[in-house]
Amino acid sequence: MYYYIFDLKKCKKKSLVTDIKNYLSFLGISGEFTYPSTAYNTKELVELGLSKKYNTIVGVGGDEVANDIAGVLCGKNEAMGLIPVEPSEDLASLIGTRNWKEACDNLRSRRIAEMKIGRTANGGAFMTTLNLDLKVPTAVTVEFKDYIIQAKIKELVISNYHVNQSKIADDYLDVTLQSVNEDSSAIAKISSFLGLNSTKAKDFSLFRARSLRLFTSSQIPLLSNDHQIAKTPQLIESSDDNLRLIVGKRTSLATSGPDQTVDQK
Amino acid sequence: MENAVDTIIGVSVTLKGNIHNKGSIQVNGTVEGEVKSDENVIVGETAKIKGPVIAKKIEASGEIRGLVEASEKLEINPTGKIYGDVNAKTLIIKEGAIFVGKSIMPNQPPAEVKSKEEPKTVVPEKIEDLDSDDKHGFFSKK
Repeated sequence: MYYYIFDLKKCKKKSLVTDIKNYLSFLGISGEFTYPSTAYNTKELVELGLSKKYNTIVGVGGDEVANDIAGVLCGKNEAMGLIPVEPSEDLASLIGTRNWKEACDNLRSRRIAEMKIGRTANGGAFMTTLNLDLKVPTAVTVEFKDYIIQAKIKELVISNYHVNQSKIADDYLDVTLQSVNEDSSAIAKISSFLGLNSTKAKDFSLFRARSLRLFTSSQIPLLSNDHQIAKTPQLIESSDDNLRLIVGKRTSLATSGPDQTVDQK
Repeated sequence: MENAVDTIIGVSVTLKGNIHNKGSIQVNGTVEGEVKSDENVIVGETAKIKGPVIAKKIEASGEIRGLVEASEKLEINPTGKIYGDVNAKTLIIKEGAIFVGKSIMPNQPPAEVKSKEEPKTVVPEKIEDLDSDDKHGFFSKK
């Protein structure tokens, strides 16, 4: 029993929506088709789908719809599917395809992977990465369980899943930051100009933790692929529970094979 | 020291507190607290650590002020500065490095400590009359 939520900001062409619906019908996995509106946002539609006892909630769109559905379904027995339309590279890698037709085929095969997601204290969720939206280098304080770090940075990314980075454990978030080298001595500047030192590599930091608190002197948005899900100061942590995600064969997540427990009609 | 690094503390980053990792740690910034790893700790040229550093292998190219314990190997590179005691199975100090402290090698029998006092000459208080026991007449005057 499939419940589809189309993100019309991504599915701009009417013909694409029609093509997807027709292909799902062809595969025999058609269901209820819904669209977020002022009356019901994505999260409310997921709740509505669950109340109607659908066992699979499928987002059709990119990272925004995926994050909203994941935030509600994490820790529940119902599975999440995604038909990608303009997904980020990370999200496409996570589900194992960036092709909507292949994703529809994967829904039918129903290969399930369990994964943690990232959560923010304000109720936001992210499946892949969360960026601090910095316009200029900014001083930040990041508080971990046993230590705090302070730095002036130009980039900060919190990854739950990143295509180029392997996690040490499923329930850890990777925090990477690019700091600003405050060594402004003439020698340092000349050395940097002549390329004599590799300060760029030394500016990079990596920390891994289950949870962290992020502080800045003024409120700064936290974006998941250009979509704001929270603002600083913020508590960000890996979820305690798992999300059951339908993935393709090329996913880098560990799968337990096709889900036999669900009636696919 | 080619293991994948789990934590990297970049230059211009200040960490306050204790960091303990199963994997390797690379420090290029400033740390005020304990740095402990079950694998390796690499202290870069720009690093300044004020606190103990404990790991299997430690490569020091920056500054450490505190106890340094390496269960396998400690290597102090030419730019490395250690102000504190060192406890390492293998210790390599390269030319130009600074090391101010005591060095202990674990699992080694304690060295014999010689007393700083000069050996005393023991003089018997009473000299026995050897002639009285001279049964064979060795000391008798002829």
